[in-house]
Amino acid sequence: MNRSTTTPVLQVDQLNVSYGTFHAVRDVSLTVYAGEIFGLLGPNGAGKTSTLSAVEGLLKPQSGTIRVAGHSVTEKPLYARASMGVQLQATSFQPELTVAEIINLYAGIYGVRLSKERLEQILEDIKLQDAGSKRYGQLSGGQQQRVSLVIATIHEPPLLLLDEPTTGLDPQSRRQLWERIETMRERGHAVILTTHSMEEAESVCDRIAIIDHGKVITVDTPQALIDRNRDRPEVIKASRKGKITLEDVFIGLTGTSIRS
Amino acid sequence: MQTTIPSTAIVFKTLLRADLTTQWRNRRASIMVILVPTIILISWKGLVEKFGGAFVLSNCITVGLTAIGLMGYSNTIAKDRDKGIFQRLRVAPAPNWTIMFSRLTVQLIMIILMTSVLFLVGYKYDQITLSPGAYAFGFVMAIVGGAVYLSLGQVIVGLIKNPETVNATARLVYFAFIMIGMFGELGVLGKEIGELVKWSPYGTVKHLVATAVQPGTWDTHANMALLVTIGYTIVFTFLGIKWFRWSTR
Repeated sequence: MNRSTTTPVLQVDQLNVSYGTFHAVRDVSLTVYAGEIFGLLGPNGAGKTSTLSAVEGLLKPQSGTIRVAGHSVTEKPLYARASMGVQLQATSFQPELTVAEIINLYAGIYGVRLSKERLEQILEDIKLQDAGSKRYGQLSGGQQQRVSLVIATIHEPPLLLLDEPTTGLDPQSRRQLWERIETMRERGHAVILTTHSMEEAESVCDRIAIIDHGKVITVDTPQALIDRNRDRPEVIKASRKGKITLEDVFIGLTGTSIRS
Repeated sequence: MQTTIPSTAIVFKTLLRADLTTQWRNRRASIMVILVPTIILISWKGLVEKFGGAFVLSNCITVGLTAIGLMGYSNTIAKDRDKGIFQRLRVAPAPNWTIMFSRLTVQLIMIILMTSVLFLVGYKYDQITLSPGAYAFGFVMAIVGGAVYLSLGQVIVGLIKNPETVNATARLVYFAFIMIGMFGELGVLGKEIGELVKWSPYGTVKHLVATAVQPGTWDTHANMALLVTIGYTIVFTFLGIKWFRWSTR
C-alpha cells in the first residue's frame, strides 16, 4: 500500500441508508487513509453510489456516522464538503458557461483565489488551453471529464470521491485520468472511487471493498483478495482463463446473476 | 486538519455571477418573456382611453410576472435539476439556500427589467404617465406579485420531475391564467367566473399592480388583495419547498 501516512481521511461507521422501505446500505464501515486509492466495487444497485452519496451529503443516513478529515458530514456539512472533491457519475455543469467560467465558479465556491495565470496553467495542465472560452456543452466526453476532475481537485481536498470516473472514456483519456489520480495519491490525497472495470481496480487501487446488497462483503488489497479467495469453488468456477483474477473473485463473491 | 470555508457572501456572489451569465446566454427566452406583455401593451393602446392606463398596464405586468414565474423560473430549475447541476453544487460548500436564492435573485432582476420595459413602453407608446411614487409603488407590487408566480413555479417543479412535463404544464397553466384571467375579468366568462378570477392569483396581483400605479385609489379591496396574495405566496412556497427534490433520480 502506498499510504504516505496512516491518517484516516474518511471514516464511515455503521452507515445505514434507506429509500422508503428499501434498505440500500446496511451497516457499512470503511476507513480510507491519506495517500491511498480505495476502490468500492459492486454490481449495479449494490449500494456503492448510495454510500458515496451519503458521504457527499446528498443522502441523509438513517444511522451511522461519517467523518471527512475529522468533520462530521451531518453536523458540520460545509466543512466536510470543503474537505472533499467530488466527481459525480453524470456530467453536471451548466452547458451555457465556458470552461473558464465554470472553473472560476467552483474556485469561488471553494474559496480559492485564481489569478489569470493560474487559470491558464490549469487549462494547460488538462490540455484545454485553447478551450477556456469554449462552452462546457460543446466539449467532448473526455474533455468534460478532465474539467470535472480539475474542479474536484481545485481546492486540494484531502479526500477525492470519484463515481465511475472512466465511464465513456476512450483508452487514451482513461490512461490519462488514471495517471492524474495516481499523481494525487502521491501528493497525499485519499481517493475513493467506484468502477465496474476490475482490471483498472486491480492495477490502480491500494485497497478494495466489495459491496453487495448494501453490505461490505470484504475489504483488502487486490492481491490479498485474490490470494484469500482463490480456492473457493465459486471463484474457481468463475475463472475463465485458468489464472484467478480480481474479476473472478468479484463474480465468485457476488454471483453471476445480472442485476438491474 | 485545518479546513477553511469561504464566506456565504462570496459563495452567493459567485453563484449569482454564474446564474446571471447563464441567463444572459439564454437571453432569447428572456426576451420572449418580456416581448409577450409588451406586444399586448402596444396592441391594447385603444383600451387605454376606455379602461384607463392602470388597467392596461396592470394586466400586461401580470402577464409578464406569470411568464417569469411559470415559464422562466420553473423551466430553468427543472432543466438544471435534470442535468444534475444542483447536485454538483450541493457537494460543494455552498449552503442549499444560497443556490436557490441566487436563482430567485436572477428572477427578481427579470421582474424589475420587465416592469421597467412595460413602464417605458406604456409611457412612450400608450402615453400612460404616472407619478414617481406610482412608478416606485408599481415596482414594489410587481415584486410582491412576482413572488406568487415564482412560488407557483416552485410548486410545479416540486410536483413534476420531468423537465418536458414541467415545460408543458407551465405553458398550460400560463395560458389558463392569462385567458381565464383576462376574459374573466372583462366579464366574458360570466359573473361567477369573474368573481373567481378576482380572487385568483391573476386577479389579486393584477388588482395590486393596478392600485399601486394609482396610489390614491388604495382601498379595502387592495388590502384584501395584498393579504390574499401574501397568503398564496406562503402556501405555494411551503408546498413548493416541501415537495421539491434536488435530483430527479
